[in-house]
Amino acid sequence: MASREVFWNISYGYLVYVLAVIALTIWLFNFYRRYQLWRQGRPDERFQELGKRIGVFFQTTIVDVFAHRKFLRQPFSGIMHLAIFWGFLILLLASAVDAISYYSGYHLKGSLYLWFSLISDLGGFLILAGILMAALRRYLWRPKSLNTFLDDGIILGSIGAIILTGYMVEGLRQAATEIIPHPDWAVWSPGGWVFAKMFIEMGEEALRFWHKFLWWFHSALTLGAILYSGLAFSKLQHIIVSPLNIFFRSLGPVGSPLPIDIEKAEILGVGEIKDFTWKQLLDLDACTNCGRCEDVCPAWETGKPLSPRKLIQDLKGHMIHISSNKGPASENPSPLIGEAPNEAEIWSCTTCAACQEACPVYVEHILKIIDLRRHLVLAQNKMPESAQLMLRNMQMRGHPWAGAQSLRLRGDWTTHLDLKILAEGDQINTLFWVGCTGALVDRNVEVTTAITRVLKEGGVDFGVLGEAETCCGDPARRAGYEFQFQIMAEQNIEMFKHHHIQKIITSCPHCYNILKNEYPKYGGQFKVVHYTQLLWELIQEGRLNLTQEFDSTFTYHDPCYLGRYNGIYQEPRQILKVIPKAKLVEMGRSREKSFCCGGGGGHMWIEEQPGTVKISQRRMEEVLKTGVERVITTCPYCLQMFEENIEHKEALKAEDLIEVVEKAMRPH
Amino acid sequence: MHTIVCVKQVPDPEIPPAKFKIDPESKKVIPPPGVPPVISVYDERALEAACRLKDKHKGKITVISLGSEKATDVVRHAISMGADDGYVLSDGAFENLDSFATAYVLGKAIEKIGGYDLILCGRQAADWGAGQVGSILAEILGLPVVSLACDVQAEDKKLRVKRILKDGFEVVEAPMPALITVSSEIGLPRLPAGMGLMLARRKQIPIWKAKDIGVDPLELDKSKAHTEITEIFIPKRETQCERITGATPSEAAANLALKIVKLI
Amino acid sequence: MDQQKGVMVLGEISDGKLATITTELLGIGKKLANELGEDLSALLMGGKARGLAQEAIAYGAEKVYIAEDSLFDDYNSDAYTQFVANLCQKVSPSILLIGHTDIGCDLAPRLNGRLRGGLAMDAMELSIDPSTKLLVSTRPIFGGNAYAKVVSRTVRPQMATVRTKVFPPAERDESRQGQIIPIEEKIDPSAIKVNVIERLKEEVEGVKLEDAEVVVSGGHGIGSAQNFEMLWELARLLGGTVGATRRACDEGWVPATRQVGQSGKVVSPKLYIAVALSGAMSHIVGCLGSKWIVAINKDPEANIFNIAHFGIVADYKEILPPLIAKFKELLSAK
Repeated sequence: MASREVFWNISYGYLVYVLAVIALTIWLFNFYRRYQLWRQGRPDERFQELGKRIGVFFQTTIVDVFAHRKFLRQPFSGIMHLAIFWGFLILLLASAVDAISYYSGYHLKGSLYLWFSLISDLGGFLILAGILMAALRRYLWRPKSLNTFLDDGIILGSIGAIILTGYMVEGLRQAATEIIPHPDWAVWSPGGWVFAKMFIEMGEEALRFWHKFLWWFHSALTLGAILYSGLAFSKLQHIIVSPLNIFFRSLGPVGSPLPIDIEKAEILGVGEIKDFTWKQLLDLDACTNCGRCEDVCPAWETGKPLSPRKLIQDLKGHMIHISSNKGPASENPSPLIGEAPNEAEIWSCTTCAACQEACPVYVEHILKIIDLRRHLVLAQNKMPESAQLMLRNMQMRGHPWAGAQSLRLRGDWTTHLDLKILAEGDQINTLFWVGCTGALVDRNVEVTTAITRVLKEGGVDFGVLGEAETCCGDPARRAGYEFQFQIMAEQNIEMFKHHHIQKIITSCPHCYNILKNEYPKYGGQFKVVHYTQLLWELIQEGRLNLTQEFDSTFTYHDPCYLGRYNGIYQEPRQILKVIPKAKLVEMGRSREKSFCCGGGGGHMWIEEQPGTVKISQRRMEEVLKTGVERVITTCPYCLQMFEENIEHKEALKAEDLIEVVEKAMRPH
Repeated sequence: MHTIVCVKQVPDPEIPPAKFKIDPESKKVIPPPGVPPVISVYDERALEAACRLKDKHKGKITVISLGSEKATDVVRHAISMGADDGYVLSDGAFENLDSFATAYVLGKAIEKIGGYDLILCGRQAADWGAGQVGSILAEILGLPVVSLACDVQAEDKKLRVKRILKDGFEVVEAPMPALITVSSEIGLPRLPAGMGLMLARRKQIPIWKAKDIGVDPLELDKSKAHTEITEIFIPKRETQCERITGATPSEAAANLALKIVKLI
Repeated sequence: MDQQKGVMVLGEISDGKLATITTELLGIGKKLANELGEDLSALLMGGKARGLAQEAIAYGAEKVYIAEDSLFDDYNSDAYTQFVANLCQKVSPSILLIGHTDIGCDLAPRLNGRLRGGLAMDAMELSIDPSTKLLVSTRPIFGGNAYAKVVSRTVRPQMATVRTKVFPPAERDESRQGQIIPIEEKIDPSAIKVNVIERLKEEVEGVKLEDAEVVVSGGHGIGSAQNFEMLWELARLLGGTVGATRRACDEGWVPATRQVGQSGKVVSPKLYIAVALSGAMSHIVGCLGSKWIVAINKDPEANIFNIAHFGIVADYKEILPPLIAKFKELLSAK
């Protein structure tokens, strides 16, 4: 019966446990010290809905940790980490089985044992393969988004050494006890077998000695790694910190900032590292510097100074500098916002959430940037001039489009249209919320009127606010001008309640996101839909018939605030598919990987760094590569950005989905 | 350092020209509905100048606004930018005053407030734009006056003011107290910031009537007005714009060049 | 009030000569004086006053008051206000005309405050009402969206400031005779509270905005300081200069002295090319006097097309380069 003697000639093996306890205690102590750094942060609401939180945690663990969903979006490094992760998981289980066998007396025997040995060795192989892939990537290929430190070398080297010594120990044992009497068993531990064949010439004495030596050496390496990880707070700590971070991940909507109490707030945004919440500080340690966020960031790709990875690492640097003693005041060598991160980085963000979507450990980058902006705007009155012009207009005129009023007023789009414009005292169930861009910018007014026509055709009863409509507040909130947003939100909610509105249809994903996900915190709970959701419903119910042929090629650009923020990817595509002869060509970066148009985070107005490629231009290049006739989107900012970049109207048309739908409804 | 700033609430100048309407009978301008009034552009610049001085020298900013009771909005706006106190001067008797009467009323309010080092006004109101109230006010209060400032600095008990000229600048020195009118070249006014917005929400803004500031109604007698508006009208602009086109933008540009080169 | 008689023009001296605005004010002043049947006088200040007095007479002044004190060579607000106010109180003109210049914009309101007369700033039309014999001044209001007619019934002097090129210069007649009246009044030094420390002339590139025959103006649609280069190129090519709207100046793309409009400069070139500006009234009032207005804007509804003679609806970035190229071709052929 195939089997082996666990431990073999190792005596006092239990000492490993003693040493492990010591190592773990030291590790725990250091972890506690780190925990105290996180505790310096302000409170966060991460302990509510514990049941739901645990459920989400398990779900995330299965999908993202075990199945490596996010990792595999970058195939090479995804497989690399998958191999290391599963390799270690296998070895962890195998070691546990070995320990249990030893102390319980129940040993694996026969073919079970053989398969067990094979799988255990496979674990080691996976790890070695992963380590090799990692080393190849980090030291030979050197991708730009990977920053290499001594820590990385130590980790890869020590893991490699641990696995190799593990095989060597196995090989020594096999050389001494197995390879000659049971060569057919030996091959079931291929890692050890390779070494066993090398060691077979060594005498019994030597084999026994080296087995003991290397066994203890292997154990020392492992415990040493744990100690090192704790004392240096190595990247290895992610094994504990990252799952912790995933457990405390946001359960709420993407990028939804915490309100600031207008009356009582003492701290406005984040001006010092301690102004972050403890969860935001935990994020900084969960980050393993993998660079995936940097790889997908539209600002970074077009030459702006912002790299989400660098931002998190810079903030981490600040955090490490604060003292966790209760003694003399913490030494703060440099202000938080100065060189790193600097203002240019902070203002470069379009809040597109590509970074958060890519991050395997669920670091939340966006709210940190918004908190930093809040401090700059509310406490220091510092912002780029283009931001100042937009925010001043928000404050004075209730919308971000400075200058637009010299061409048209808010309610002008309703002229000559047969619409229910709500007057004071009117009540209506469904409101069509047009948004500032849809009311004030000519090209987008075309979209707004098309939506009203289609809604009417579909038999939807709705009202509009006309000139009484003011901004939903999103540009102010994303630019850090929190109080102005709050004032607007409260006024809007009061107006909705005054008209007894239950349901709101929006055309702009930014309005949609903020009305649906952020207004509830201010007492405004309404059923909010984006018009594409409603359209799809109407089509399914047969209230709208898209029967006219539209023989053209389209590509669909997923707006960030509709896609990544709210998970609406299917409906626009389903609608396009219904249209006869319409051919949809997907861009490489679509759905969750969609590349921002550059308009979010206030950037419809805030100017991008001069001398860099415009984000909208970069996206336009991708559109042009598909060779389609029309680029379709469902967001007014995206539409504006594409229109700006279309050089000659003949070559490519940018249209909102509703315009295509309308053409498919009637002969054109 | 105590600065008093005079601000005026005016109809929003940013409207499509086609929406600008007047009533020739009452000689009044009718703003389009749904467009809230705003703070006069130059007065906001004057406020910005005051805030910059306060940044440097601490002190206090008091704001006064002559207008309807709705003018509390612009006073609140001023407080959110950094002013400490504000008053609205509103009374039936204060309607349709000419520049002299306006300056007189403002002067009375300023006397009541007292203890000032500097008075700042915009160079002209964005609506009627008479451009005189500042200078007349200075005369009434017996203050040195500097007009068209694009930068104001205070050193010791003196003011160093940069003035905008048609082709350059000049720097003048004036003693305190003084009155300065401010032009738009001073730059963008600051965004009302966090703390300011909070303060402005809570602040009580008193409304002063004629009797509160000791205004003699005889001074406001319309029959003694220095200037009188006899008519307002919107000029007809008769130009037919010839649109130049072309198959491509380049062709259109070439056509335009051909047309223009004959004119110069 | 019956003691107030005559039209007085506050003259200005520039580069050793009578300023153009002064010759223009003497022109309209003469017309008003004739309608009233009264005299036209002028006031000249500074060391060069005496030398130019005869010029003023040639342009129509019956009397020229001169203040030769060299203190008046450079404008000082307090000194001028004191002197002119005292003179007006002595001479009692019915109408006082001042240029809407650096001096006038500062002096007129102060004089009005001191003399407690009636003032209309930035008048584009002046006339005498035949029945009331009052001066009727027409001035822009609400950023130029409308005009108002203003009179002063009960006070004197009736004052108005006028921009240059609104009225034509007076006819010059060497043979005219007139009186030169020196005023010896000493300025009370304690009255001078504000002193000029320094004057900085802006380095003006090429032609001065107010004198240019061609002005190429950019608005908010230009987008950046760098993009203004194209406008400079076109302007230089056509022998003109660059102007801008208030918003473009606010953004810092061009210096504030380039601002054309209600609170900037009023220009009346032969050709005004408005690039990527919407045509807000407060800007348009600054260029309405142009002979030919051309607009390039990608918005077909832009207000600028309502006052332009020629227009192209397109993105200026696509128009200017070929426009410049074509001009180069046409002008070199000439």
